[in-house]
Amino acid sequence: MTHSRRSFLAAASGLLGTALLGTSGCGRGGYLTPEGTISLWYWNRSISDTLLGKVKDEIGIDLVPQKIGGDYKQKLLTSLAGKAYVPDIAGLNEDIATYFPDADQFIDLYELGAKELEPLYLDWKWQRGVTPEGKMIGFPMDTGPTALYYRPDIFEQAGLPTEPDEVAAALDTWEAYLEAGSALVEALPGVKMIPNIGMVYGQAVAQQATRYLDEEDNFIGDGPQIRRPWELAVEAHQRKIAANALDWTPDWGAGMTRGTIASFVGAVWMAQVLEEAAADTSGKWRVCRAPGGAGNSGGSFLGITKYCRDPEKAYKVITWIQSPENQLVYGLNEMQLYPAAAAALEDPRAQKKEEFFGGQIINEVFATSAKQVKPVYLSPYDNVVGAAFSDELANVWSLGKDPDRAWEDALREVDRQLSHLGLI
Amino acid sequence: MTTQHVTSSPAHVDRSSGLSPQAVQRIKSFITHVLLLIGVLISIFPFYWMFVMASRTTGDIFQFPPEILPGDRLLENIRNLLASIDIWGSTLNTLIVAVCTTVLVLFFDSIAAFAFAKFEFPGKNVLFIILLATFMIPSQLSTVPSFVIMAQLGWVGTLQALIVPGAVNAFGIFLLRQYAQGAIPSDLLDASRIDGCGFFRQYWNVAVPLLRPALAFLGIFTFINAWNDYFWPLIVLINPDRITLQVALSQLFGLYQTDYSMVMAGAFLAVIPLLVVFFIGARQFLSDLAAGALKQ
Amino acid sequence: MTMTPVAAPPAARPGAAVHAAAGRKRKEYLSLYLAISPFYILFAIFGVFPILFSIYLSFHNWDGIGEMRFVGFAQYTFMLSDPIFWKSILNTFEIWIISTIPMLAIALVLAFMLNQQIRGKSAYRIAYFVPNVTSIVAVAIIFGSIFSNQFGLINWLLQTVGLGTVEWLTTPWGIKVAIAAMVIWRWMGYNALIYLAGLQAIPTELYEAARVDGASWVQVFFRITIPMLRPIILFTVITSTIGGMQLFTEPQVLLGNSGGPGNEGQTMVLYLYQQAFSLNQFGYGAAIGWALFVIMIVFSFINWRLVMGSETRGLRRGVRA
Repeated sequence: MTHSRRSFLAAASGLLGTALLGTSGCGRGGYLTPEGTISLWYWNRSISDTLLGKVKDEIGIDLVPQKIGGDYKQKLLTSLAGKAYVPDIAGLNEDIATYFPDADQFIDLYELGAKELEPLYLDWKWQRGVTPEGKMIGFPMDTGPTALYYRPDIFEQAGLPTEPDEVAAALDTWEAYLEAGSALVEALPGVKMIPNIGMVYGQAVAQQATRYLDEEDNFIGDGPQIRRPWELAVEAHQRKIAANALDWTPDWGAGMTRGTIASFVGAVWMAQVLEEAAADTSGKWRVCRAPGGAGNSGGSFLGITKYCRDPEKAYKVITWIQSPENQLVYGLNEMQLYPAAAAALEDPRAQKKEEFFGGQIINEVFATSAKQVKPVYLSPYDNVVGAAFSDELANVWSLGKDPDRAWEDALREVDRQLSHLGLI
Repeated sequence: MTTQHVTSSPAHVDRSSGLSPQAVQRIKSFITHVLLLIGVLISIFPFYWMFVMASRTTGDIFQFPPEILPGDRLLENIRNLLASIDIWGSTLNTLIVAVCTTVLVLFFDSIAAFAFAKFEFPGKNVLFIILLATFMIPSQLSTVPSFVIMAQLGWVGTLQALIVPGAVNAFGIFLLRQYAQGAIPSDLLDASRIDGCGFFRQYWNVAVPLLRPALAFLGIFTFINAWNDYFWPLIVLINPDRITLQVALSQLFGLYQTDYSMVMAGAFLAVIPLLVVFFIGARQFLSDLAAGALKQ
Repeated sequence: MTMTPVAAPPAARPGAAVHAAAGRKRKEYLSLYLAISPFYILFAIFGVFPILFSIYLSFHNWDGIGEMRFVGFAQYTFMLSDPIFWKSILNTFEIWIISTIPMLAIALVLAFMLNQQIRGKSAYRIAYFVPNVTSIVAVAIIFGSIFSNQFGLINWLLQTVGLGTVEWLTTPWGIKVAIAAMVIWRWMGYNALIYLAGLQAIPTELYEAARVDGASWVQVFFRITIPMLRPIILFTVITSTIGGMQLFTEPQVLLGNSGGPGNEGQTMVLYLYQQAFSLNQFGYGAAIGWALFVIMIVFSFINWRLVMGSETRGLRRGVRA
C-alpha cells in the first residue's frame, strides 16, 4: 500500500516537475527579442515579406518580424496592459486614434526627425497619425482611397452612362447616384444598385472633413456631416435600391458574381476582394470617381512603443520599409497595398492596366481620390459613437424601424455612451 | 447496483400484429439506420466541404452556385501552406502541449473526482461548490491578469504557460465525479477497504479501471481542446519558434483579404491527427469490451 | 491541512478502537485532501489574482493601457441602464432555450441508438464526432452560405418546396435560429458521446432482465436508461447551461463582434469581449463579466435543482413500485 502511494506521488511530482522545467534560469526580462534586435508586429499581407528579408542587408539592422494572427488588437492591448513583451515596432490599424489618450506609450516620431519626411506623404494620411497635442505616434503605411465600382454592361441595359468619365460626371453627387439607382431598379427588375445602405452611410461619412467629435472631444455628430449621410442612407432604403447583402457575406459575393448588384462605393483594396469573390466577372467592371467625391476607408500605421530599447534604429527600419520607393515596389506592386507616399502614386510603374477592369488603369482614379481626401480629426471614441448610428441604421433596414425615431435613439445612445466615458 | 425497481415493471407483449419478431427487428434496425444516416450527412457535410475548399482556389469558394466536388489543387495549397508557415515545428509544439495536458488532466482530475464522488471529508461540499463556481467565470475576463502572472513567472512564450494552468480543470473533475457515482459500486470499495487498501490503492485498483470509458472521453476531449486552443496561445506565445498549430494557422489571415483555400488546407491537415486520436481513444469506451470489463 | 472530523461516524464504536479509527480517518482525510489539492493549488496561483483583478477593474474606468480611474459603482449603474446589455441577456437565454433543449434530447436518443446492437457502429460514432473537430473557420463560411438570405441552401430548399424565404442573418429570429443550429450541430455529437460513455456503465443485466420481462424500447429508455444516466444528464445540463451562458465563438464567427444587425446575435460574453477588446472599455467589460457570473450561478442552481429534484421524486417512485 505505501509502495503504491509513493509511486503515485512520484509520478505526480515527476509530471509537474517536467512541466515546470525550463523556468529556472529564465532571466531575460520582459523583452520579446534579444538586445540589439528590433521586433516588429504586423499582419499578414500588410508588409511584403520579401522586403522584410532585405532589412539586414540593406540597412544592417537585425529585425525580427512577427506576423500576428487572430485578434491583433487584443494581443497588443494585453501586452501593453501587462507592460511586458511589448514589440519595439507595432502595426496600428485604422483605429489608431484609440491610442491617442495613451500617446505616452509611444515614442514621438517627430522627436526622431520625422518632420523632414512629412512633405513626402499625403498630408491627410500623415495627420491621422498625429495626436491633437501634436505628438506623432504612427508612421503612414497604406491608405484606402475610395471610388465607385460599377458594371458598365448593367448600366447600359438600364440606360445609364457607361464610360468612367461619363459616369463620374453624371453621378457626381449622392443624390444623382441614388436617382440613377431608382432608374436602374425600375429598368431591370431583380437587379439592385447597391449592396446595402450601410455602405451609403459609411462611404458618405468617409468623405467628410469632420466626424463625430472635435479635437476637444465635444460631440458634433448631430451636425450635417453625419445627418446628411444618414438621410442619404435612409433615402436609399426608401428607394429600395439596396440588395441588403452585407459586406463579406456569401450574398455579397453572389450578388457581384451574378450581376444582381450593379455597383458599390469602396476603398481601393476592395478590388482584391471583388476579384476573389467574383472571379467570373473579370473584364466587366470599371472604376470611377465616387459620388460625393474623394474619401478614405482603411489604412494602417507603424508606431514605436516606449519599451523600445533603441528608438533610433527602429525609426530607421520604419522609414526604410515605408519609403516612397518601397511603398511602390513592395507595397503597391507586390502586395496591392496602396501607398501613402505622394510620389509613388504618380510613378509610371504604378500605372498598370488591370485586366479585371477591362484594361482600365484604375490607379488613375484612386490616385486622384487619394490626393483629394480631406483631412479629418478622428477621435479615440469614434468607434463607440459611430456604432450607435450604424446599429440604428441597421434597425431601419432590417426591422423597418421609423428612421426619425432611429435617429433620436441613436443620439440618446450617444449621450449615454459619452456620459459613461466621462466626456459629458 | 440494484436491479429490482426495473424488473418490477410489468411485462408487455409486442402489440404489433402479424409480424414475426425477426421482421420487427429488421424494420426497427432499418429505421435506426436511416435516422442515423441523416444525422451523419448533416454532421460530416461541413467537414467534406472543408476538404472541397482545400482542394480548390479561394475564388471557387465564393462562387455561386457553390462548387461541391473536390478540385485538383490540394497539393498546391498544401505546398503554399508549407511555404507560409512552419507546420512541422508548430505541430510538434502542439503535440507536446496536448499530450502533457491530457496526461496531467486525466491523472489530477480522476483522483480528485474519485475523492469527491466516493468519500466524505470535512468541507467537501463547500470545496466542490467553489470548484463548480470557478467554472462559471468567463475566461475572456482574465486574459490580461493571466498574462501579467505569466510575465511575472517568466513563462510568456513558453509551452508551460499553456500546460500548467490547464493541468487540472473543474470540467473534468465534475464529469468524472458524476460518472463515478454510477460506475463505482460502494460495496466494491468497502470490500477493498476491508482488504486494507488505502485511498490511493483503491483509486488505482478499483476506480481507474471502472472509470475507463469516462477517462477515454475526457482524454479525447482534453486532447482536442488543447490541440484547437486558440485565444490564450495567441496571447501568450510570442516566440515564432514556439507557437502552436492554431496560432500558426491564424497568421494566414491577411489585413484585407485571405487565401481561404490555403487556410482550409491547413485546417484539414490539422484535423487528421485528431481523428486518429479519436479512433484510438474511442475504442476505450465505445467497444463492447469496455462494457464487459466493467462487470467484473 | 489538519482537521478534526466534525461528523461522527454513524455507528458508535467501543472506546479502544476509537483512537485507532480516528487516526485512520485522519490519515484518510489527508490522502483525500492531497487528491483534490492540485486543482486548488493551481487555482490559487492562476485563478485568484485574475478574479480579484477583474473585481477591482469593474470599479474603474480603464482603456487597457493608461491610468485607471476609480468610478465606484458607475459601471454597474451604467450596465443596468444599458439596453444592449439587457438585450444580450435576452438573446443569450433565447438562443440557449432553442439550442440546448433540442440538442440534449437529440443527443440522448442518438446515444441510445448508437448503444444498440447495430452494424457500422464505429463508423457512425466517428461521423458524429466530426463536427467537434471541423475547423471553426470552415464552419463559419459554411453556415454563412447555408443561411444566406438570397443564395443560401436553406432558402433554396424552402423555395423548392414552395415556401417563402427567410432573411436568416438579418432578422431577429432568423439570426437566433442560425446560431442555435450551429450550436446544435457542433455539440450534439459531443453530448451523445458523453451519454454513450454513461450508457456503457449501465450493467447489461438490467437490459437483459427487461428483455426477459418483455419491456418495450420506450419502456427501457424511460425506466432504465434515463434513471441510470441521471448523474450524467445532470452533468450535461450544467455544462450546457454554462456553455450556453458563455456562448461566444458561434455568434462571433457568424456575425462579428457586434452580433449582426440590431445586435440580435449579441450574447453576454460577446458583449463583454466587444466592450473590452474592441472598444477598450475594460472596466465595463469586467462589470458585465461579473453580472454574467451571478446570472450563471443562479441559473445553474435552478437547473441543478430541476434535475436533482426529479431524481429524488424518481427514487421515491422507485421505492413505491
